[in-house]
Amino acid sequence: MKSETAGNKAIFFSNVTKTYYTSKGKYGLLRDTLGQILSPFFSGNRHVRPTVLALKNVSFNIKRGETVGIIGRNGAGKSTILKLISKITYPNSGKIFVDGKIGAFIELGAGLHHELTGRENIYFYGTILGMKKKEIDRKFAEIVDFAEIRKFLDIPIKKYSSGMYSRLGFSVCAFCNPDILLVDEVLAVGDINFQKKCLDKMASFAREKTIVFVSHNLEAIKKICTRVIYLENGRIAKMGNTLKVVNYYIKRSKEVIN
Amino acid sequence: MEKIYIKELWSFRELLSALTIREIKVRYKQTLLGAAWAILQPASLTIIFTIVFGIFLKVSSGALPYPIFAYSALLPWTFFSNAVTFGALSVVNNGSLVSKIYFPREVLPISSVGAALFDFAMAAMVFIIMIAFYKVSLTSNIVYLFIIIPSILFLTTGISMILATLNVLFRDIKFVVPLALQIWLYISPVIYSFDQVPEKYKVFIFLNPLTGLIQSFRDASVYGKEPPVLILSYSVILSIIIFLLGYWFFKSKERIFADVL
Repeated sequence: MKSETAGNKAIFFSNVTKTYYTSKGKYGLLRDTLGQILSPFFSGNRHVRPTVLALKNVSFNIKRGETVGIIGRNGAGKSTILKLISKITYPNSGKIFVDGKIGAFIELGAGLHHELTGRENIYFYGTILGMKKKEIDRKFAEIVDFAEIRKFLDIPIKKYSSGMYSRLGFSVCAFCNPDILLVDEVLAVGDINFQKKCLDKMASFAREKTIVFVSHNLEAIKKICTRVIYLENGRIAKMGNTLKVVNYYIKRSKEVIN
Repeated sequence: MEKIYIKELWSFRELLSALTIREIKVRYKQTLLGAAWAILQPASLTIIFTIVFGIFLKVSSGALPYPIFAYSALLPWTFFSNAVTFGALSVVNNGSLVSKIYFPREVLPISSVGAALFDFAMAAMVFIIMIAFYKVSLTSNIVYLFIIIPSILFLTTGISMILATLNVLFRDIKFVVPLALQIWLYISPVIYSFDQVPEKYKVFIFLNPLTGLIQSFRDASVYGKEPPVLILSYSVILSIIIFLLGYWFFKSKERIFADVL
């Protein structure tokens, strides 16, 4: 796969289509699977699994060092793109190429376990994000200071406030040193001071790393993105210059409301 | 293809050990007795089995006292049963990890087996104390354990992977597992010895890979005799086949885990 892509591409999508199965009712998957297996025996009553289209023929390129924003309404397929980049889910058709270590600030706290202490969670979450133990040892103090949780390091994080929880998650992510950074709506958490700290951290990343930034916060998008992709119902509606695309999105949103 | 899997799994070995340690820690956090539960489980079963089957029903335990007869089988059985119980739930219970972060998914069932292995090691210490207490003389046949224990590990991992995959697709599995394990305990030579099975039923041994492994574990350890080589070889091969099948099945369905969870 590597041979066909040129050196400075970090992410490459070619005609990517993704559908999800939607199962209804409490028997969900079992009924759908049985239906599929049994349907040849009952002609005329073919069971078709219900699906929902998340992305349709999406193609784009992201070069190394770019900061690309993805905007669009809820359900437009923004998070699906991030999940495809990080190999959490796979496309039904089309090609995806990703080059570099991925760090995902997707839904903070996913890797945290509430029974473990802050210290234990830093090590555990760091390991999930691909850090070696030595690396975490080295960055431990920085992570703790950034999260502002030094006093609470050795108590289980179920006793933490939600702000502390997300600060811990963000800090571990921020120090895992990826080549490609995926950011999904993380700025919605924490107080204003911490939000500013996160944005500054991302801006400092932006100088050397590739960033894909999903957000509804258009001001933040304008501030750090070099290019924007606007999705509408799983298709790319517009892509290019940040200001132009953001303005187009605002215009389209008003049209929909009217 | 397998080579790539192994290479990737190797690169995530720190995650594997971190998950295993987390599972052990979390399991015993906020329990008063902590890791003592790893010992209490087989020990309490040994006591009740000794009373019911050893004293009331007078099941023969050969030249050995019934408690050590029962414990020598409950030790591998408890490992198997715990690992499969937690392994089957491992992917679903870690759903928030699976649907948000990429890592080779097999570290989840494997770490459940790893955590059960910790319990096994704890319970094995009691086994050693019992061997000393009952003055059981060990023989060189003990080296068979180096074949038997890894085979149990393969079998357990394979079955955990199959069940973990099925449990993602059909949540009914979480109800099936405890029931199936209860039945499985009775069809394995834990309470009784394989020699006590009537001739005409002995062919069923070939359906249960655990029979040969548990019988051999007991024979090689406390009886100090050579395990039934034919049955053991069969069980070893079957365990490896089940492991490979389980791994293949898990990897073939892994890509849809995040979509289904």
